Amino acid sequence: MQQQVTLTIDGSTIRAARGTSVLEAALGYGICIPHLCHVPGLKDTGACRLCIVENVQNGRSRVTTSCTLTVQEGMVIRTNTENIKRLRRNIAELIVAEAPNSRAVQDMAVRCGVREVRYPFRRENCIQCGRCVRYCTEMWRANALGFIGRGKDRKVDFAFGNRRDICKKCQSCVIYCPMSVTPCGGPMKPGEEKLCGKCESVELMAENAYGACVHCELGKGFQCSRHAM
Amino acid sequence: MATANLDSVLEGRRSQPSQLIEVLQDIQDLYGYVSEDAMEQVAGGLGIPLMEVYRVACFYKAFSLQPRGKNVITVCTGTACHVRGSDLLIDQVRGQLQIEPGETTRDGLFTFECVNCLGACALGPIVVHNDAYNPHVTPGKLRKMIDKAEEEGKKEAAYGKTGKA
Amino acid sequence: MARLEKPEDLENLRDSLREENRGFRLRIIIPNGTCCRASGSQAVIDAVKAEISKQGLEKEVFLHITGCHGFCQQEPNILFEPGNIAYCRVKPGDAKEIVEKTVGNGEVIERLLYVDPLTGERIRREGDIPFYKAQDRQLLTNNKLVDPLAIEDYIAIGGYGALAKVLEGMGPEEVIREIKASGLRGRGGAGFPTGRKWEEAREAPGDEKYVICNADEGDPGAYMDRCLLESNPHAILEGMMIGAWAAGAGMGYVYVRHEYPLAVQHTRNAVMQARALGLLGENILGSNFSFDIEIARGGGAFVCGESTALMASVEGKVGEPRPKDIHTVKEGLWNKPTVLNNVETWANVPSIILNGSDWFASKGTRGSKGTKIFALTGKIRNTGLVEVAMGTTIHDIVHNIGGASDGRAVKAIQTGGPSGGCLPASQFGLPVDFDSLYDAGSMMGSGGMVVMDEKTCMVDVAKYFLKFLQDESCGKCIPCRVGVSRMLEIVTDITEGRGTRAQIDLLKELAETIGQTALCGLGKTAPNPVLSTLRYFGDEYLAHVDEKRCPAGVCRPLIRYAIDPEKCNGCGVCVRSCPHEAISGQKKEVHAIDPEECRKCGICAAECKFDAIMVN
Repeated sequence: MQQQVTLTIDGSTIRAARGTSVLEAALGYGICIPHLCHVPGLKDTGACRLCIVENVQNGRSRVTTSCTLTVQEGMVIRTNTENIKRLRRNIAELIVAEAPNSRAVQDMAVRCGVREVRYPFRRENCIQCGRCVRYCTEMWRANALGFIGRGKDRKVDFAFGNRRDICKKCQSCVIYCPMSVTPCGGPMKPGEEKLCGKCESVELMAENAYGACVHCELGKGFQCSRHAM
Repeated sequence: MATANLDSVLEGRRSQPSQLIEVLQDIQDLYGYVSEDAMEQVAGGLGIPLMEVYRVACFYKAFSLQPRGKNVITVCTGTACHVRGSDLLIDQVRGQLQIEPGETTRDGLFTFECVNCLGACALGPIVVHNDAYNPHVTPGKLRKMIDKAEEEGKKEAAYGKTGKA
Repeated sequence: MARLEKPEDLENLRDSLREENRGFRLRIIIPNGTCCRASGSQAVIDAVKAEISKQGLEKEVFLHITGCHGFCQQEPNILFEPGNIAYCRVKPGDAKEIVEKTVGNGEVIERLLYVDPLTGERIRREGDIPFYKAQDRQLLTNNKLVDPLAIEDYIAIGGYGALAKVLEGMGPEEVIREIKASGLRGRGGAGFPTGRKWEEAREAPGDEKYVICNADEGDPGAYMDRCLLESNPHAILEGMMIGAWAAGAGMGYVYVRHEYPLAVQHTRNAVMQARALGLLGENILGSNFSFDIEIARGGGAFVCGESTALMASVEGKVGEPRPKDIHTVKEGLWNKPTVLNNVETWANVPSIILNGSDWFASKGTRGSKGTKIFALTGKIRNTGLVEVAMGTTIHDIVHNIGGASDGRAVKAIQTGGPSGGCLPASQFGLPVDFDSLYDAGSMMGSGGMVVMDEKTCMVDVAKYFLKFLQDESCGKCIPCRVGVSRMLEIVTDITEGRGTRAQIDLLKELAETIGQTALCGLGKTAPNPVLSTLRYFGDEYLAHVDEKRCPAGVCRPLIRYAIDPEKCNGCGVCVRSCPHEAISGQKKEVHAIDPEECRKCGICAAECKFDAIMVN
């Protein structure tokens, strides 16, 4: 029998199997913590930082990502404080400014409360969430894709930029990429950095990519009012 | 590339993935750069996916994936060198050789690199020409240093041509 | 030398080495570290050596090649013991005179002595030079006593005595108690209590444990770790052995930057020598303690100074940090309990064991004990390595030891590298310790201190660090990779005259977000240079934004170079030195700068001997 621990998330007492992450435990109970790089079954790296929560210990709270935090007996977690909401909105704003034409990222940003983007758009098309890389490495052990370089020059690429022959053509990288949702040709233009949030692509995302939902794995998170601002 | 040498680098380290960085360092020292061919052999020798070897080679600044020039001019851009004017030195090299940091001139005479700190901060700004550290460099001194190396390089090239003829 | 089988063997060896050294009447000490070599010390050594053998003095005098003594400004220098006579800026041509007069007849050559720039007085003894006099040198003092390539020298000054003491009669718990009582905190920057770290590693379950020495000194402007490893590597090895004994580790690594080739070479040599004597390996000094050390070269990545990234790098992987929800003392290298300490921390351990925790705790402040080495550089008269008791004020370091700036007023000091901040001259009364600098918005960091004067633009300094961090970030998490590059974008806008006040607010908000959400310690501290300059030098930001003016005359788009016709005498140096061919003029006539061609690099201003190039 699996050992269970008891912890408190946003005031609700929940039980979770020892070893699971706070994010998984929360999602299992329908508590929405926005997330992007987390994919069920893959190792969490804490890259996108959207799933930040406050971990309260001895009266002091520390901001950390819930995907890399394992549940512990008596833990007290807050997922939706004013501070967290503000930080999460700022991070979402950074992400959407990198890839303004990705529908999945736009939706995520809108749900995190971003209405206006204060940075000029960059058309990176890749926000380096690492879903493709981790799927390729962990699930298939193909090691065809990887993060190359560092800092601002870091990118996802094949070895030597041309070793496609190592790829097993499983297409998982495409399926798991948040950018592969049909892009929005709408209002995201340089100079008018605004998010209208009118076209939340609910069905589209749930169909295209399991786990790509940036809000809540139940798929109902879109109606959930927890993060609406 | 001499395969025998590469074997000697790998000797005693085969199937030890933790030796990857040390092996690449030795290859860099031996050949002046890490070639794709060498990376493939290292991947096989240590038992690591090629991707991992390539990633490590790209991540660390110590490794150069292209052959470097005969003269490597390294400008230190640490804080102490920066406030003492290492920017001027970068401009001097840029202007004189028409290359950006990390590039090599077409004739293969010069490679221009920047390093974030060499730990000789008291003597800044520092320029390393091949392995020689030059303290308190000014744009003028640097210009002469490059001129001299260029002249020598040209002389050698001319000598090489006549030698062959 | 034979393998040392028991502690008495070490004592006997020490006694015989000391006896050997008594045979010489004079020691000529010439430092030969990386910076000394850059100043030409090798040529001086060769010349002095040749001169000594020419005059047949080999039997009487001992030429001692050591590591750097710290006063890098005055290198190459020579020190004579006994007598403590110090010569500065020696040239190979001086060798003959030195050997004839000073070595031969004990005569002091006045012109080679250090001249106090304030009084103009020549100072004979090294200890009387103000730079050294105001310091409290505990670690650095050994640098002039040992040849880094000779384990004999280290043993002769009492080296490995602490190891013998520990193995003879101090249990691991007792060692940990002693280190805890001394109040030693990590010298790498974070200041975590060392004894507690060792204890946690000791208590962590598992038989396989590691110790690591972090010598990936990536902070630009800090080089005390390089100096310690280069000059006295055995002290660090001994510290690691004691730490390994306490924590129950069987293997240690020294992770050293490849940019420090001399440190790599000396450490490697030291490990081999220690192995040959049986100080590393199985059953050290006949005890049941077995321990070995390997050298891992860093590949040139600042982020590898972060503990988890460093461990990934030792494992041969890409140096990306991982979340530290589980500490490295429990799951570190290869997921085994690991003690990671900085070079300077390890170097402090042997003397604490030998002299006792009370001796160590008697120096420093309540929260920060002992001495700390700082690298004093930048626009200051005396640059070099400075060791003072914790709690010494910045003012004392900058003015009494550093001799203040030559000419212009000191404006600020940058401490702690890219994770630290800039403190203005008005804050120079602060004592330097872990807590006071942190409260003031900077941090002590590993101990880099870069002095800045009026000609340094603080917005440019912030931009410099952002650029550094953008290149050196591993790129794994969004706040550090994207956030820092956005901050750089904003600061670049400000330095190029496109900045707005709203952008300054955004900069602050972004900085705070990164500080709270980045993955690793380096990311979390990345906004510090910006936050501290905004806090203390907000007016400089506003001058850039509101008036489109750079008060220090540094930010290129906001300045213009022109030639002062009064001062220009037509020497032509600027014409020749301009790499962009923007200056024209006949000889002996006033030159002119073509504003179209000028890229504002400032090379002409640096080269002009008559101050005729104006910035406005």
